[in-house]
Amino acid sequence: MSEKFGVKVEDIFNTMEERFRPEGAEGVDASFGYDISGRGRWKLTVKDGSMKIEQTDDLGGCAAVIQADADTFVGVNIGKVDGTAAFTSGKLSVDGDVGAFGTTAKLFKRFTPPKKELTVGEYVLDMFGTLEARFQTGAAEGLDITIGYDIGGEEGGQWTARIKDGKCTVTEELVPSPSLTMIMKAKDWVELMLGKVDAVNLLTTGRAKVEGDMNLATKLGELFAKYTAPGEEEEEEQELLVLKKIISVNQKFATGPVMGKYLNGLKEKKILANKCRECGRMQVPPREVCALCRIRCDEFVEVGPKGNVRLLDTAYYASPDPLTGETRETPYGLIYILLDGCSGQEVFAHFLRDDQLDRIEMGWNEKKGTIVRPVWAEERTGKVADIKYFEIDE
Amino acid sequence: MAHRKKNRNVGVIGVGQTKHSSHREDVNQAEMIHEAVREALDDAGLKMDDIDCLVHGNMELFEMIHQPDLWHALGTGAYGKNTFRLTTGGTTGATLFCAGDNLVASGMYDVTMVIGFEKLQEGHTTGGITNMADPLWTRSIQTGALTGTCAYDLIQEFGEERANQVAMMYRIIMDQHAGLNPKAHRAFGLEWDQMDHLIKTSARLVGELKIIDMCSQSDGACAVIMATEEKAKELSDNPVWIRDHITVHREESFTMLGYDQATVPPLTHKVAAEALFKRNGISKPADYFDVFEMYDPSSWWGVDWLRAFFLLEGDEHLKLVEEKEIAIGGKIPVNPSGGVIASNPIGATALVRPAEACLQVRGDAGPHQIPTPVNHALASGFGGTMWTVLIMLEKELGW
Amino acid sequence: MGNRVAICAMAQVKNEPNVWYQRFQGMLLDCLEPILQQTGVTYDTDKGIRNIVTCSDDVFDARTISDNGMTDVVGAHFRGEEKTAQDGLNGLGYAMACILSGHDDVVLFMGHCKESQTESRNMSTNLAYDPFFCRPVGMDFLNVNAFQARAYMEKAGVTDEHLAEVVVRSRENAAMNPFARESGKVTKEDVLNSPFLADPIRELHAYPVTDWAVGMLLCCEERVKEFTDNPVWITGFGNCMDRYFVGDRDLTSNFSLKKACEKAYGMAGIKDPKSDVDVIELSDAYAHQLPMLAEGIGLAGEGQGGKWIESGGPAKANVNLSGGMLNGNPIMLGGVARAVEGYIQLRGEAGDRQVDGAKRALAHGTTGGACQHQTVLILEK
Repeated sequence: MSEKFGVKVEDIFNTMEERFRPEGAEGVDASFGYDISGRGRWKLTVKDGSMKIEQTDDLGGCAAVIQADADTFVGVNIGKVDGTAAFTSGKLSVDGDVGAFGTTAKLFKRFTPPKKELTVGEYVLDMFGTLEARFQTGAAEGLDITIGYDIGGEEGGQWTARIKDGKCTVTEELVPSPSLTMIMKAKDWVELMLGKVDAVNLLTTGRAKVEGDMNLATKLGELFAKYTAPGEEEEEEQELLVLKKIISVNQKFATGPVMGKYLNGLKEKKILANKCRECGRMQVPPREVCALCRIRCDEFVEVGPKGNVRLLDTAYYASPDPLTGETRETPYGLIYILLDGCSGQEVFAHFLRDDQLDRIEMGWNEKKGTIVRPVWAEERTGKVADIKYFEIDE
Repeated sequence: MAHRKKNRNVGVIGVGQTKHSSHREDVNQAEMIHEAVREALDDAGLKMDDIDCLVHGNMELFEMIHQPDLWHALGTGAYGKNTFRLTTGGTTGATLFCAGDNLVASGMYDVTMVIGFEKLQEGHTTGGITNMADPLWTRSIQTGALTGTCAYDLIQEFGEERANQVAMMYRIIMDQHAGLNPKAHRAFGLEWDQMDHLIKTSARLVGELKIIDMCSQSDGACAVIMATEEKAKELSDNPVWIRDHITVHREESFTMLGYDQATVPPLTHKVAAEALFKRNGISKPADYFDVFEMYDPSSWWGVDWLRAFFLLEGDEHLKLVEEKEIAIGGKIPVNPSGGVIASNPIGATALVRPAEACLQVRGDAGPHQIPTPVNHALASGFGGTMWTVLIMLEKELGW
Repeated sequence: MGNRVAICAMAQVKNEPNVWYQRFQGMLLDCLEPILQQTGVTYDTDKGIRNIVTCSDDVFDARTISDNGMTDVVGAHFRGEEKTAQDGLNGLGYAMACILSGHDDVVLFMGHCKESQTESRNMSTNLAYDPFFCRPVGMDFLNVNAFQARAYMEKAGVTDEHLAEVVVRSRENAAMNPFARESGKVTKEDVLNSPFLADPIRELHAYPVTDWAVGMLLCCEERVKEFTDNPVWITGFGNCMDRYFVGDRDLTSNFSLKKACEKAYGMAGIKDPKSDVDVIELSDAYAHQLPMLAEGIGLAGEGQGGKWIESGGPAKANVNLSGGMLNGNPIMLGGVARAVEGYIQLRGEAGDRQVDGAKRALAHGTTGGACQHQTVLILEK
């Protein structure tokens, strides 16, 4: 049980089969572990559009194991806790393939706690139990009043709300001569609070009576926020809309003579740098000027194609390619290569072959890094992808 | 001629910010900006009629709005005003602040309001940042602003254990600051005993850069009102004076990696700090300034850049963190607001820095006010391909 | 300390329909090199360029933070760079403020825009409208200017014939300007028979797709002799924003232009533009805007645009001798192209279209649909 949200951890797992969405499971073939501290371990297996959930201590073979406490786990599942924030702050952690775990988000419909129809008596208790919390301090400035509630019938009772110094105190009694007293049966009171019947109707038909300061009666709506039944807070009509739109305006980027010469070089499996005639700096890819010397660069030199890796940036976060909209598989390696013929900071950035991430040694000062070579695309048209990636030269 | 003092003194007389948040579906862009504008006007006790000139900035492609100041006129109050629009990437907010200073100091406008905003939720942030790369080359390779190179350099220089510890300490201090700032987007309530666990388990984004290290993506806006000395004294009891500022950009290519210590060019932050402090006669910035609001996109960069901005040597910057001197109550509090890791509406982020610094100078920062008097404040912006804007603020005139 | 700012040098590439052979970096570099050469200015941190004000736009550059791509070609490596993202005339106004503030004594201004890069100029300017109402109903700068054209033609008695005259004159003037887009001379019949883009705007009433880049070196009064013997002074500047929703404003009222003029005239001490200004350059992106803007700056009477054209007003007041925006300058730089003509005229370098004894020029720029934001800059010899 998560005391905080009134939902059992077991409920989340026990309802997984009925919440399962086969369309969200397309292409998923893996097991996922759930380690809920103090409550137990579960293993979810998804294959061929179907699923199996079991409580077991053996989480072997899972692509990822999620660890969290009961409140966090339940909170995320019922939408009361932001999953990203829980993940970022470490309250929820994933051991194993984070990317794979991300796919579980699409597997299930959201868990909604079963809704219980309240009895009239339960409603009355809840309505007066929440009265203080619904009090609107701002509307009560300067007020010093008492409001009596005389709710008749077996499920009724008597209450007084005392409003003074911007505070509201509710007691279960009817004090003598309140500023205003409202008298009606429990059933009518509940219908009035739920908005199923209006006050004028109740008064004119004699089902409700008001004694004392009538002007005050008209102010009650401002003094207390509208009552909402437990579990219904989020089902209110949403007035705000979000407009979703993909914006795309086609472009044609000129290469210019400098970048053009470079891209044409790639077609012939040549990597061209340009060299500053003043400071000798090489730039790959070439730029129109040397930023340091502020002079035009027009001398081209072929470099590479091999080089040593100075730095490997391993990306675990799936960033979309803005030119295609496609999201890359993670992890992947972005390497800064010092191509043969270049020195110092004259590095060239490109991708590393996917399966060689853990075999790269980075250079540091005089020490060289792993030697790599380009793998050329079969068809080369003068663009970045003419080099597919670099791989270890062996 | 060398850089000289401005022709007119300029004072900040009003500051406004929205609450920064991961999503503000309840307002559109103009409405969100209006919240900051109204708060700044209220703070200064002014009406829109008192404003001569507006400066607006953000990054168009994050929300995909061309010339957004035209639409936002609904919320900025631009109707009938002189208006400018400047944008320089992450530094935008700081550029706006400098522009406001320049426009008022020029004598062309007496009272100017600068407005930075971003509604990052309305676009794809990492995609938007990746779009800054050259379309013909690095655009298909870059991963937004994410890179593990800074973490790698710190680990190489100071060892894995110490570097990780310091970065996580920095992170927890920032989170604790954010917890005191009601406008901050994120405050997780991180505790010191979580440190080792977070170092080990927080998901990695790129290299050693972990998800907990990285700045947020926020919706938010910030507005700052500036006036000439005469007007500022007339309109405000506690103007904060803009002493000086400097902008340093660098070329687009990433020829600044730490792997070859002999050839690493100077960091723009250091170039900016050296030039700015030299011309203002400040030799020990960590002693001179009472607070520093730094644009810290990740805890690694935050740690590393302390050395550059404060002109420190060796591991002095690490010690500042280890001894918690950068925390509220420390010798030189850094980002009492919680900084950029806590709140990051990009076009506003670099304006929030001087705005928060002004509140600290005034003593009006509320729960995150630092306890000792603030007479000299420093604020920085970061953006583009490692660009810097550095701003000095003073409580009293006559420096 | 003077209160004038000098333009010491200017360099531009030719306005062209499609610079397919160069990146904007190359275009900017072609402007930077002659400026450095003409003036001998350096990037020395004491005596040279410390700050560069640029002008471009991320949507037309199709790049987030497009100043990334130009840091090196404008020389901003380890220097300051600030990008203005509205009509470039505002960038010149901002550069002026940088100098008058005392913060800078030399500022380089660099602007570029390649309209040919985007597949559709209208799709790009559609993005300037809110996504909820104006975008879905198809507003872009062309359509919204057509609303203005219809309303203004009704108000000021401007006819299709008048507009044809405006276009014919624009192309004739442009033929004398070696840096103008080679849009070609046209006859009145050509204009009257050209197809409608957005009624009443015909194809030849609208400025054609153009690529361009330009640079200027600005400096404070005390240092001008170091860089030129023939400076042109910026003596006045003003701009103003009108309301956003088209229905919230009178599209023909010139509200924002009148306010911008008030400010700029006040600074420069202009009482009557008819007698006090020798060269006038207006950003007439659409033909109807020439007479309308002439009303706004006080050159033609209110609602008298039709008569002003009939009486030869444009030629008498030396309006748009460059050919104007109508002949082709890119969005973002229309106002700068106007200032460039003013600069050339005041220096006496305008060749066949030179105005004798020109002492003062007015340059106008606009940002947004139906002139929502307008800017005026005053130049003096």
